[in-house]
Amino acid sequence: MAESRFAFIFAPELRERLQWFIKLRWLAVAGLVAASLVGPRIGMQSVWPSLFLVALFVAAYNLIFFNVFRIAEEHGQPYGNLRSCAIRQMVMDLLSLVVTVHFSGGLQSPLLPVFAFHMAIGTIMIATRIMYVLAAATSVGLLGLYMAEGKGLLAVHPVDPTRGMCGRACDLNLVALTVALFGIVYLTDSVTSRFKKRNIELYRTTGKLQERTTELQCLLDEIAELEQRKSHYMRISAHQLRSPLGTVQTTLSVLAKGYVDPASERGRRLLAGAIERVDGLLAIVNDLLELAKIREGRGRAPWSRAINVNQLLADIMDALEPLAAERNIELVPDFDGVAILDWGIPPDLVHAFENLVQNAIKYSYRGGAVTVRLRVNDTAVTVQVLDRGIGIPAAFRDQVLLEFVRAPNAKRHAPEGTGLGLAIVREVFEAHGGGVAVSSEEGAGSTFAVELPLHYTPPEARRLLQQGNEDGYRPHTAPAGTASE
Amino acid sequence: MDERKTVLLIDDDEVFVDAVSAVLETRYRISTAGNGTEGLARVHEAAPDLIVLDVMMDHLSEGFDVARTLRTDPATAAIPIIMLTGVDQVYNVRMEVDESWVPCDRYLEKPVSPEELLAHVAELIGE
Repeated sequence: MAESRFAFIFAPELRERLQWFIKLRWLAVAGLVAASLVGPRIGMQSVWPSLFLVALFVAAYNLIFFNVFRIAEEHGQPYGNLRSCAIRQMVMDLLSLVVTVHFSGGLQSPLLPVFAFHMAIGTIMIATRIMYVLAAATSVGLLGLYMAEGKGLLAVHPVDPTRGMCGRACDLNLVALTVALFGIVYLTDSVTSRFKKRNIELYRTTGKLQERTTELQCLLDEIAELEQRKSHYMRISAHQLRSPLGTVQTTLSVLAKGYVDPASERGRRLLAGAIERVDGLLAIVNDLLELAKIREGRGRAPWSRAINVNQLLADIMDALEPLAAERNIELVPDFDGVAILDWGIPPDLVHAFENLVQNAIKYSYRGGAVTVRLRVNDTAVTVQVLDRGIGIPAAFRDQVLLEFVRAPNAKRHAPEGTGLGLAIVREVFEAHGGGVAVSSEEGAGSTFAVELPLHYTPPEARRLLQQGNEDGYRPHTAPAGTASE
Repeated sequence: MDERKTVLLIDDDEVFVDAVSAVLETRYRISTAGNGTEGLARVHEAAPDLIVLDVMMDHLSEGFDVARTLRTDPATAAIPIIMLTGVDQVYNVRMEVDESWVPCDRYLEKPVSPEELLAHVAELIGE
């Protein structure tokens, strides 16, 4: 039943009402005392001291309820406790009321309508089903009382002793009261259940709203973090451009202001230096553009199917053979198995692998060897590019894949370089659903390990596949090394 | 014997060093070094009257380290230092950096104009 599952929603309300009822009951006690005193004066001798005793009884249990409630309140009350407390109070009240009715005229009693009041309140506070049971119990109780009085088992206390009992009118009173009790429970329920349902709906909606708000907040936080990272990245990029620009400016102004004759040997040297810096700047800008393109999901070419990684690596090694030979470095292929990627952007993959092998050659000592090792399992291909070169200092190992990070020994070994090559490599492999990891020891060499899933479907391809537009992809025909655009 | 005062340039950007040398050479004898370690060695060889020091070389704060080393050595503590930096707010190093915070006499930001540099050098050691 929905009501009990969401009972905790109603707990605060019920708690408040219970407190209110304990206060209200003191009024009932006062009323009973007053009735017991006034009754005999208007001819109802039966109410003294009976109603006074009932008043004492009500006062006694009210005091008990008050204290029990207060003690329980200190420990925090679950809804179940509150409800059984309400039921107990209702049963006691009805019992007291039946006794009061007996002493104030039986089914002639002017207090009969008070039952209706109790039914309505009970239906609001307690479950409807329980109130039907209590209504039935009350009716049976009154019937029992009526029969006991009729059969002389209990003394009769008519309102007006001079007129005696009511006879037929009392039979009808009992019937009418029974109908009224059930009717009131029913009507009250039909009104309050709607409110209760709305309450539950409101609670559910509020819960959902809070969930959404939390989700939104998380998203906002993510966006803020992204924004911050972007801004940081932009500042670092700007700084990387600013340094060489500053040198170019100083150099040119030294020449322009006549400190050095541009035509002199030194002048030409300074101009050559400035050009070198400008070349470096252009390289950085190109790499930044490249990186931005890959991040935006735009490769050098459309996604193609069935990319043969072995073929790709073999082509790259062929292309780089002259560079290796020039440095007296041996390129060693170590392929085990054949790796075919479901999807890939061949020029991007060529660029990334080429970059790794080129780096391995660049940072190797003369006469060294660079191994390209390929291993395949059912789901992924691993390509390791191993060199025995200068290696990466421990402090930089985790950072070399980030933008603009170049270890000092790398700068000394090969001064040119934008510091963006490995960032581009990382982006390319991540765009293919894989990644790249570095292990290295300074002075002993480095290993760049690329892992690519064989069955990765990029979001772009998935979209087109859904549109049934698979033909939109040109099959891979471009030879390796046609990376430039 | 050259009577001119000696300025030591410590900077890893050789093009920049070449350009700045060309300007300072008009009045001073120039000695150069490409990194902090080399720079410290050169200080003892060349006994410069002033040092122009780049902050960011191999390490982010290499210039700061060099300056601190020089300032704690009684033999070199008195040599005026002009710190040059390309570091701006990027690494949050700049803040409101001034000479009281950085162990140097002048803190200049790159790019620096030849006249400006000459003026600062002249102010610290004279012609």
